Amino acid sequence: MTTSNATATESGQPPDVALTINGLAVNAHTGMSLVEAAWHGGVPQVTSVGCLEGVCGSCRVMLRRGKEVTVGLACQTFVEDGIEVVFMPPASAPQHHYKISDFKDGWDIHARFHKIFPEASRCRHCHGCDKACPKGITVENGVALAAAGRYREAGEAFFECVMCELCDAACPELIAPAHVGLFSRRVTAHFHLRPPNLIHRLEELRQERMETCRDEDSKK
Amino acid sequence: MSNGIPLAEALARYRIDADLGSLPELTDIDTLLNTYHPDHLRDSVVKLAVGANAGDSCQRELAGLLQAEAFIDEADLAGTPVTDIDVLVIGGGGAGCAAALAAAENGARVLLATKLRLGDSNTVMAEGGIQAAIEPDDSIQRHIQDTLRGGHHAGDPALVSALAGDGPEVLHWLISQGMQFDQTPSGDLHTRRAGGMSTPRLVHCRDYTGLEMMRVLREAVIQHRSIEVWEQSPAVELLSNEVGQKCVGAVLTSLIDGQLRIVRTRSVILATGGLGRLHLNGFPTSNHLGATGDGLVLAYRIGARLCELDSFQYHPTGLLHPSHLAGKLVTEGVRAAGALLVNGLGHRFIDELQPRDVVCAAILRECREGRGVRVDEQHAGVWLDTPRLERANPGILEQQFTSLMTRTHVAGIDPRREPLLVHPTLHYQNGGAVIDVNGATTVPGLYAVGEVAGGIHGRNRLMGNALLEIISFGRRAGVAATTDRDRGPKKVTLEHVNNLRRALTLAGLPMTQRAPQVLPAYAAGGVWNR
Repeated sequence: MTTSNATATESGQPPDVALTINGLAVNAHTGMSLVEAAWHGGVPQVTSVGCLEGVCGSCRVMLRRGKEVTVGLACQTFVEDGIEVVFMPPASAPQHHYKISDFKDGWDIHARFHKIFPEASRCRHCHGCDKACPKGITVENGVALAAAGRYREAGEAFFECVMCELCDAACPELIAPAHVGLFSRRVTAHFHLRPPNLIHRLEELRQERMETCRDEDSKK
Repeated sequence: MSNGIPLAEALARYRIDADLGSLPELTDIDTLLNTYHPDHLRDSVVKLAVGANAGDSCQRELAGLLQAEAFIDEADLAGTPVTDIDVLVIGGGGAGCAAALAAAENGARVLLATKLRLGDSNTVMAEGGIQAAIEPDDSIQRHIQDTLRGGHHAGDPALVSALAGDGPEVLHWLISQGMQFDQTPSGDLHTRRAGGMSTPRLVHCRDYTGLEMMRVLREAVIQHRSIEVWEQSPAVELLSNEVGQKCVGAVLTSLIDGQLRIVRTRSVILATGGLGRLHLNGFPTSNHLGATGDGLVLAYRIGARLCELDSFQYHPTGLLHPSHLAGKLVTEGVRAAGALLVNGLGHRFIDELQPRDVVCAAILRECREGRGVRVDEQHAGVWLDTPRLERANPGILEQQFTSLMTRTHVAGIDPRREPLLVHPTLHYQNGGAVIDVNGATTVPGLYAVGEVAGGIHGRNRLMGNALLEIISFGRRAGVAATTDRDRGPKKVTLEHVNNLRRALTLAGLPMTQRAPQVLPAYAAGGVWNR
């Protein structure tokens, strides 16, 4: 048994697909993912690879087929004859800053949201984010829901988000939709998730601790 | 492994309604495990010759890395840029983020260095959930008992008590950070019961618990003003004081430009995760690309004691085909729902709900004795009969196993129509660095949290305890690392590396191999020149 996960398709047959990755010509086998093809072809500097099952959002690639340019995740995209693939550099640091512990209660959340994400209400409905999303999320609609203050629904729209931030890169208004989605999910849990079974157990444990403290004090 | 039934022949023979024969009786579990489980292979384990665990059993390939030459020596440090920081966290998964946030909340300036991208980790792939004793008929004590029993009583009771006791508070903290969980109609957190639990205790966010946790923690770290993040920056060595006995920093490199950087600090928190990508004993793995056991190597070289170095969890049902998903998991839930395992001859061969190590050994027996389904000269597996499951419960795969359906759909495979070819896959490192309840290793100034640490799970980890451990111990170590009142290092040296070199020479061991591995060889194209 070989040690590499990547060799299962290399059963002695000659490669049958020709493509370019980061400008280098690569010959690969049908059925290989773009990550496998990059490894197979010895393409250097391919370090933006993570989980290999489409949930970490690291292996962002730009794809060109003739005149058509799209984006996607390399571990979820398969080799095609003639396709040009470029592994994208990591996303730049987010430009929208907030700290969830600074939020006192939920009543001013709408004002806070628009202060943190002033661009969110300026969506020009170009569908760039929708087309960029490798998970098929209705990003534009999610942003509209958040801008209207409907954070629970907005967060639900982003449930499958893997934080690849391809929608951020696609947005001409610099809305940072992925972070709008995560903000929506986070405030929903932060302000509204109050499960009775957990709260009850936390209170029991607090009283146990106080009793232990009292016992220790009385011993002194 | 060249024998077995060829794939085409096995597929042609496969019938959804075939008689699978009677299940052979499982008489001697010990012999099955001792003969076929990878942990028990005779040449898979060696004795360590040098270091804090000299004389202890250790998996052979891991031993090679623990007793290997370092990448750098003093000459490399001259002229290297230096960064001073209060706490250095190495690793950007769930444990690293939790530790960084706890340290920053306690007023420390934190540098989080990660080999790949922030959030690239095994955490993000965790599907099942996180354990916490929150149901009325459950208790912290029962959680402790289940965890110790599951680990064959090899776990440290003090660590397990700390873990279980933190459970409810960990959930509270995660929710305040903005993590969502599934609820019952009345608003309670929904719990499930999984293997080894005496009562429902697994809290989850559908089948994406790890992803939900990771994206929230990642965002919290990015947003924190006191945490600086360096991506694509693997650690290649720790730094010690003049006598090589205290950890005072680390040497990082860059996967982008190869530039070394010295970080001087009061404490270092290792959160580097596991080692699936070392492909121990030639096995595929469910792990993330960065899981190459770097933390174990660095900790061992600076003198930290490790434990259970010969105990690993192999998950029975890793995918063998399609190749781009090789080693990736088919969740145990599929078997729990009733899917059967069938060999190349079309026969059942094991009770599918036996413990993971037993099912794993049985599958390996079928493959080795020529009853597996052969894909090529080197790879064989057995069927996981998903079409039969679907026929008995129409719609079950779509409704309950969306993650599996999405992943196979991308590859043009429909588990409702064709069975999945599976083979055991290297999943989790049960042991690791010996720690106390604050995550402190046996080396002053050095902490270890998450999969790189050992002692909690004994020789077998229960589902849902890993996600709990990374937050519980991540936060404990983050707090402890900032309360260290040491004024910080005056001098940083590689004295511990010199010590190990002397020991290796005395033991007559070759110094041809270098460690840590950083990336698997097949993915290292041009990045890592050694």
